[in-house]
Amino acid sequence: MGGGKKRRQRGPQQLSSAVRLDRRTLWTLNAVPGEAVYGESLRRFSGKEHRRWDPTRSKLGAGMLRTKGDPARLLPAQGETVLYLGAGHGTSVSHLYDHLCGAENRFGGRLVCVDLAPRCLRDLTFMAKGRPGLVPVLGDARQHGAWGVLLPTKVSWLFQDVAQAGQVDIFLAACQRFLQPGGTGLLSLKAASERWTGEGETALFKGVEDRLLEHDYVVEEVVELTGYEDNHRLFVVRKPEA
Amino acid sequence: MWLGYDWRAAAVVDEHGNIVDSLEWDGHMTEHAVVERLRQIAAGQPVREAEELKQRFPEAVLCVHGDPQLPDADWPTPTSEQQAVADAAALRLAVEGVQAAANDPDRRLEHLVRGSDELRASHLTMESRLIEWAGLFFPMTTVSDRAAYVRTVAGSEDPAAFAEAMGIEVPAELPSDKEWRSLVEWAENAAQANGRLDRMENALRWLAEEHLPSVSALVGPLLAARLCVEAHGRARLARLPSGTVQILGAEKAFFHHLKTGAPSPKHGHIFMHPWISRSPRWVRGKIARMLAGKISIAAKIDAFEGQPWGEAEVAKVEERVEALREANKQPPSRR
Repeated sequence: MGGGKKRRQRGPQQLSSAVRLDRRTLWTLNAVPGEAVYGESLRRFSGKEHRRWDPTRSKLGAGMLRTKGDPARLLPAQGETVLYLGAGHGTSVSHLYDHLCGAENRFGGRLVCVDLAPRCLRDLTFMAKGRPGLVPVLGDARQHGAWGVLLPTKVSWLFQDVAQAGQVDIFLAACQRFLQPGGTGLLSLKAASERWTGEGETALFKGVEDRLLEHDYVVEEVVELTGYEDNHRLFVVRKPEA
Repeated sequence: MWLGYDWRAAAVVDEHGNIVDSLEWDGHMTEHAVVERLRQIAAGQPVREAEELKQRFPEAVLCVHGDPQLPDADWPTPTSEQQAVADAAALRLAVEGVQAAANDPDRRLEHLVRGSDELRASHLTMESRLIEWAGLFFPMTTVSDRAAYVRTVAGSEDPAAFAEAMGIEVPAELPSDKEWRSLVEWAENAAQANGRLDRMENALRWLAEEHLPSVSALVGPLLAARLCVEAHGRARLARLPSGTVQILGAEKAFFHHLKTGAPSPKHGHIFMHPWISRSPRWVRGKIARMLAGKISIAAKIDAFEGQPWGEAEVAKVEERVEALREANKQPPSRR
């Protein structure tokens, strides 16, 4: 230890009216007070109940803690309509809902989350019961025709976390169809889901970045998630203005 | 000219993004009606408004709203009430989809196969513990039928009754009432596990014969179910190369072979079948290879709804097995 720049100790920081960064822990204002979604701890800050956002179970949460820039820019604006591909059991989705919609959807947000697995959807539909604005969809992230009509306009924010081969192609297709120009796309890339070319992970991630740049997307940051989620990177991408 | 549609409207758009004509759904927007429409769109069928417009503009290209080939147009956005109805409908569709998954025999087979494995493992350990435990107090008893022994313990009020039922003298050292009570309860539990296992395997046989009639006819329902679970589903079993079917269940030996060059495994789960396990060691590999090929064919018949195999087809395979055994009567020379 010693030497080098000392990490600046920051006090609690409010990333939005519902998301709070307290040193190295993230908290969101619980939209359904008294209820923990996946066994996370609940705590009151100035009289309002918050849920702890576990970064080891949410790649979005991990990305916000690991990003070198402002963590708030990884989040959509409150009250927007956003698309989440590969929603899983709804860990990230529940926190995103706290931020985007709030209790009883007071911000008027809409969170369309797509997953292929009926087991995951079971948890999501259960969660959606008390959360207006959360729209679970049982469908394939690649087959836009089946659920695309639920998004009448393009979205400003899109997150993808699917564990199947060809994640970049799925991401590019989804961005082309659903993301508005200038919108933010987040791609959580799992190296183990891609074909192993024998050139190592670094080459794989570089190849993904090249593919994104090829399509004129601006790669703002590639967030390394090691420690929270091994062999994963989070690509923060901006779609070019038309 | 393009014709875009979503669940509530359809519009004809020209190449400059001008809306030439449009039709809105004037029906009553109930959740049920929207569910129907969403389902229709997901199945790739245009909604009624789109079909009407298609008649007016036959040259227009039909596509769902949001399709990349559709030029950007001033698409009428739904009101928040309409959107809320659509969201409720989407939730209903998701719930229905989750419900439909309960119908998936692949998943049910997995629980039945793994569950009966766990039940068998726990039943066998309970049984052997009981025999050891009771044997401490009654060293003179001989165990020929383990299940009957367990039942006798379970049915004995006290140690003396047990000794009488086994036809031996009451030993000098006897367990206390409390300990005997626990022993008997343990025996009851072990005997019940036996019955549960039988019932579970009957359910498993029934489901496997429904889901995999040809493979079940060929190698028996229990083995058929195990292969299906190990392959992660019937559809995948039908697509696996038969070399993989042959060694399903022998992954450890297989990867050891790849890593170190040790001899490759010749059979996985299919070793359970008497055609292989009851054959001489040196023909097992040959029979396994042939049988795996036949299982692959049978799995394809089941997965793609062909005419299921019956006794005639199985008899033919059995002939092949006999021929292989006949052709390889002597072990190969060591050199």
